[in-house]
Amino acid sequence: MSMERSIKQFETDRMDAVKIAARLLLASATTAPRVGGVGECTVHILDDECDIEDLCQKVEKMSNDNEKWGFFRRDAEMLRDADSVLLITSLRSKTDPADINCNMCGKLTCEYLREAEELPDEPGVAYPGPLCIFRANNIAYAVDGMVSLARNLGIDYGIFWSAGAAAMRMGLLPKNTGFALAVGISITEKSPFRDIPLKYDEFNEKTMHDRIIRRLWPQFRSIYS
Amino acid sequence: MAIREMEDLVQKGLERAVEMMALSAHNSIRFEGRNTIKMITVGNEEMESIAEFCFSLGDMSPLAARDGRHLIELIKEPCSLLIIGDKRRSYFNYDCGACGYRTCAELNRAETTESLTAHGPSCQFRNINMNIAASAAASIAWRLGLHCRVFSTFGFAALALEIIEDVDLVVSVSVSAAKKDPYFDRHKFWTQEYWEEIFNKEFPTYNRGFIGAVEE
Repeated sequence: MSMERSIKQFETDRMDAVKIAARLLLASATTAPRVGGVGECTVHILDDECDIEDLCQKVEKMSNDNEKWGFFRRDAEMLRDADSVLLITSLRSKTDPADINCNMCGKLTCEYLREAEELPDEPGVAYPGPLCIFRANNIAYAVDGMVSLARNLGIDYGIFWSAGAAAMRMGLLPKNTGFALAVGISITEKSPFRDIPLKYDEFNEKTMHDRIIRRLWPQFRSIYS
Repeated sequence: MAIREMEDLVQKGLERAVEMMALSAHNSIRFEGRNTIKMITVGNEEMESIAEFCFSLGDMSPLAARDGRHLIELIKEPCSLLIIGDKRRSYFNYDCGACGYRTCAELNRAETTESLTAHGPSCQFRNINMNIAASAAASIAWRLGLHCRVFSTFGFAALALEIIEDVDLVVSVSVSAAKKDPYFDRHKFWTQEYWEEIFNKEFPTYNRGFIGAVEE
């Protein structure tokens, strides 16, 4: 579809802004506090729309793996409208408990947590636990670091665990990842992460555009020409 | 116009700042959008008992002991401690498996294991929500220019001493309006000799040559 030159320029600049913002958010998430100052979180940026689409398709497929995950289809639809997706991982929660015997996992000591039987790596389990919760809590600080900067920059954001779990399954994240979350960001006039109607996977901007413009308008045009 | 002294201004400002931090924690982003955290601030008396408790754990946890000694120093100047807690059970219905149970219902049925630090097993997403709240409080403190550090140890002590009740998981955000940032580079707690002794014990190979001989 034709677009005025100045509007094309706006589109290009907007996508440049997304790339810069995603990297700034990565910086904020990286420097957010960690328990004991031990490094364990990594942040990965998906800003290619084909990569984001692959991730969304995986999220959609996962919605069938567990009856409680019906909302994954809605999440996938929201993430399709994201300009960039940032994935945050916790690399020590699965393999390297914090050794402070905090009992958040309910195993009393970290030694017992190491010996505890892990959930099987099967489709209905998103994060095969038990994880070291004390370690995985670092993600909370990283996410809040990101959100805090996104708010300052005036960027729309949404937080999704579905996409974090999907990225783990797709092998996009380091192999020791025990827990991962995704933050979608969008630089658009209307946030794709707010005002989500029911059945959003069926009724959204893309399906409406497809039904009303792409399907009806050509017929209207050929009949009344 | 009445004159107000600096001490009064700083103290009142600190109290106001802690209220803002609590507000920020209260309204922080969270999964499922439901706020279930419990939040209190404590005065010098409670902070003193927290410090003594932490210090008494010296043999078990040098970290807690260090934090206890630090807190005793901290309360000599204007400071405050925001304690944030939450329950352990899940209301999310995500069945994500991070807690080690296949479903949220199984986690909720599991027997509570009580300890001095936390009552588990707990829902990973509840923990995330609680720590995002702590981070939001800390980020407001940072923006207001307060000295700030998040402490698990003081939270654990508040739980053990039942200063905060009816919660299973706790974290605390300590803020201070001291004249010098008291939270980082706390060298005054160690003598050089003690530091060297511990360093050599913990990293015995650091000062050795390639074949393992001790270099005098």
